[in-house]
Amino acid sequence: MAGLWWPARPAAGALRAWAPRGPHRGKTAQVPRRPLPRTPWTTRGPPPGAPLPRSWQDKRPVQEQIPGLEQVTYAGKQYFVPWLARPRLPRWERGWHDPRHSPGPRYEAMPLYKERVCYVCHQRTKMLEGVRQALWLTKTKLMEGLPPKVLSIIDEPANQLENEDERVQNAISHARVWITTELIPKRESYCPVLLEDLLHLCRTMASKYPSLSKRMLARDYKVAAAWERESSILQVRGMNGILLNAINPLLPVASKDEILATENHVLETFHPISPTIDLQEVNVYEERHDTGFREGYPYPHPHTLYFVESANVRPVRFRPEQLRAKMLMFAFGNALAKAKILYGDDPKVLEHPVVVQSIGTEGRIFQFMVFQLNTTDLASSDGVKNLVWIDSDQYMYDYIRYLPGIRKKVVKFPPGIYGYRPDTFKKFLALYLHGAVQDSTQTQIL
Amino acid sequence: EYPAPPGKMAAPRGWRLAWQGHCRLLHTERSAAPPPPLYPPVVASHTAKSKSAKRRRLEYFYQQVHEAPSIAEKLRLYGRLQRLKYVVYPQTFSLNADRWYQSFTKTVFVPGLPPAGAQPAGPGAPDLSELRSLACDALLQEHFYQRKRERPFLYREQQHVPGPFLTQLVSSLSAALGSSNPLLATSCLDLKPQVNFYWERGETVVCRGYRTGRIDPVRFQIDDEPLIQIRVPKQLPEFVPLDYSVPGEVPVINHKPDKLPLFKRQYDNKIFIGSKVADPCSYGHTQFHLIPDKLKRERLLKANLADQIEVTYRANGIASLFAWTAAQAMYQGFWCEADVTRPFVSQAVISDGKYFAFFCYQLNTLALTVKADQNNPRKNICWGTESKPLYEAVEGNNVKGFNDEILLQLVQFLLNRPEQL
Repeated sequence: MAGLWWPARPAAGALRAWAPRGPHRGKTAQVPRRPLPRTPWTTRGPPPGAPLPRSWQDKRPVQEQIPGLEQVTYAGKQYFVPWLARPRLPRWERGWHDPRHSPGPRYEAMPLYKERVCYVCHQRTKMLEGVRQALWLTKTKLMEGLPPKVLSIIDEPANQLENEDERVQNAISHARVWITTELIPKRESYCPVLLEDLLHLCRTMASKYPSLSKRMLARDYKVAAAWERESSILQVRGMNGILLNAINPLLPVASKDEILATENHVLETFHPISPTIDLQEVNVYEERHDTGFREGYPYPHPHTLYFVESANVRPVRFRPEQLRAKMLMFAFGNALAKAKILYGDDPKVLEHPVVVQSIGTEGRIFQFMVFQLNTTDLASSDGVKNLVWIDSDQYMYDYIRYLPGIRKKVVKFPPGIYGYRPDTFKKFLALYLHGAVQDSTQTQIL
Repeated sequence: EYPAPPGKMAAPRGWRLAWQGHCRLLHTERSAAPPPPLYPPVVASHTAKSKSAKRRRLEYFYQQVHEAPSIAEKLRLYGRLQRLKYVVYPQTFSLNADRWYQSFTKTVFVPGLPPAGAQPAGPGAPDLSELRSLACDALLQEHFYQRKRERPFLYREQQHVPGPFLTQLVSSLSAALGSSNPLLATSCLDLKPQVNFYWERGETVVCRGYRTGRIDPVRFQIDDEPLIQIRVPKQLPEFVPLDYSVPGEVPVINHKPDKLPLFKRQYDNKIFIGSKVADPCSYGHTQFHLIPDKLKRERLLKANLADQIEVTYRANGIASLFAWTAAQAMYQGFWCEADVTRPFVSQAVISDGKYFAFFCYQLNTLALTVKADQNNPRKNICWGTESKPLYEAVEGNNVKGFNDEILLQLVQFLLNRPEQL
């Protein structure tokens, strides 16, 4: 059928395969299931000392338990008969090395093999403890809300677009409703389009602040950073998100006093779970630092990382807590790589802290983060810590109505955006303008 | 026709003269109002297999489309009937595809660019050196500074370096030119949007199936995906007046489109400019296309098709711009039976990363069906340049031989705006 058409939906009272059938039909879970209580059994296996479940016990084959007992196979007959066992024949060897059919070298034979295990965080790592785990791994102290420097940019009336609300709502409608001839677009199409539209709106501010044009977006770039944290080697690797690079670095957001005050902060641990849970363990690795760009790049300083969480299927999609953890790890990775290249490999407290911002979204909910790297001395858990300001779960709008709600032949609920909140875009714009705008509370941080 | 004129009724043998109440007596005056008709109008059948019945069904269909309450409804009724149609690909390997596409879309191709209208002096002329440094930075970032895979996957070289370079170039240039062109500040930038258009041109005889022997219009559909597209809320000014007589002819090709080669399929008749009718940015400004890997210059030169290099650019320009501009016109309520009353204008830049070709399109007529085209002197016009390189080579972190004319032309394209702004 041409043009807009009603999507094919099952009838209202149709039985669903996953829902209860019979007398309890129609009674799907009314209350969302609470997460399971965290006991040693539910997190990782049985506690020490308890007997293992049957399926986890070591099972030795019958031949080992009763020596001398051999199976009678049809190997001697050289043809199959159904009443004799299947023989275990030796694996066929080609006799010569064919590069197109070779399994490759074993891990132990690779040149970069190391005995000590390294834990790698990549873009599909969903950490169990979320932000708490990322805070421990990156030796960071958490502050709720955005820093006052960024909030003061929001309050300035000159830092707003003309017809800001109307244009943002047009951008949301474009991404969520108008982008396809079908009725409802999928998250994989609307989420990146929404981010691009919001970035386009932010870029139009370049007419007011010319230093905004001295920035460049980079997509599909790979970052590499390695550090040691209480006897485990950790690495951040791989493609993460869209990076906005700037010519001038961001000035530190926290004062010297706040940085020194973090020495007293104690990092939160979560015994018995190891802080390196859910990170990929590798034995073949190379510790290197790479911002993703060569020397001499005209926009050397990372400004903001944009993460788009647009998987269509809910189990694959990152939950907000895991998305915040990923944002923190990669902001830290970019900052650490930049600091090591600027100030050398020795672990030390930085004179000029490196600031990297990060914004993550799944199309409706935005997570804002400002990360300040104060020290590269991460081996011990004492001393000056890094700082991160997180503003989590900012809704840009509540929901979108695609079809009008008609009650008794009167349009009661017109289609469109419901529950639009203008503050979220103001924060988005403030994080974009940070570094290019002189705000009133800026003090010289030496 | 009734009342039957007196004196013309032939009386067959044995027919008694009966008084026909509707006949006028010879010496009476006709009264002021004609008497109301006693019988309904005699019209052709609706369902018969005859030409007059077909005409009547067509008239009824046109009347329905004319009376549609909204534009979305009009588009739905226009493309409601699905039949086999030729799928036209703007980026095609067919030889001499640009002449065929000109005949399908009634377009005259004029080499060069349209006569430049007097651009009003904007709030500040853009600084070319700044824009040149932006362009060079984008070029060097993708070619040299950003660490990428050494060898991209097979047939993915264009999306490895030239694609991101073009995206970066367009977004930074449009942001930098926002102060000089207020239209760009209210524009909408789409990445890889869908652009579709469906139209009928010419007639043919159905050769197979249960409808064999009937005369059917030839249907076409374009499904295009430009790399970047800029849509604006106000229409661009026309290049030449609506009824301008272009020095040039629309090529007439006396073969079936199958010879191009062009293949038929039957699916949704979509008409889409990149976003739905409700979007306020419903006029087009500029499209940017990337030549795909299979149509690159080196491959065509290796296959001894050096003259087809420009043909691919032209065919892409004509087909994509026709689809986009005509879809914009349909979004304003015009269609083949209600022809456009003002010309619709769009621009396109087609590139393979190094060579750039610029195209401008003016849609003067949507009436391409046989019935609507009988007394239609208007033709659509497409202006286009040859492809020229933006730079000679990128060696390390140096750009050698940067061509300022191409950048200037690109900037002028982006600065195009209506006179009121």
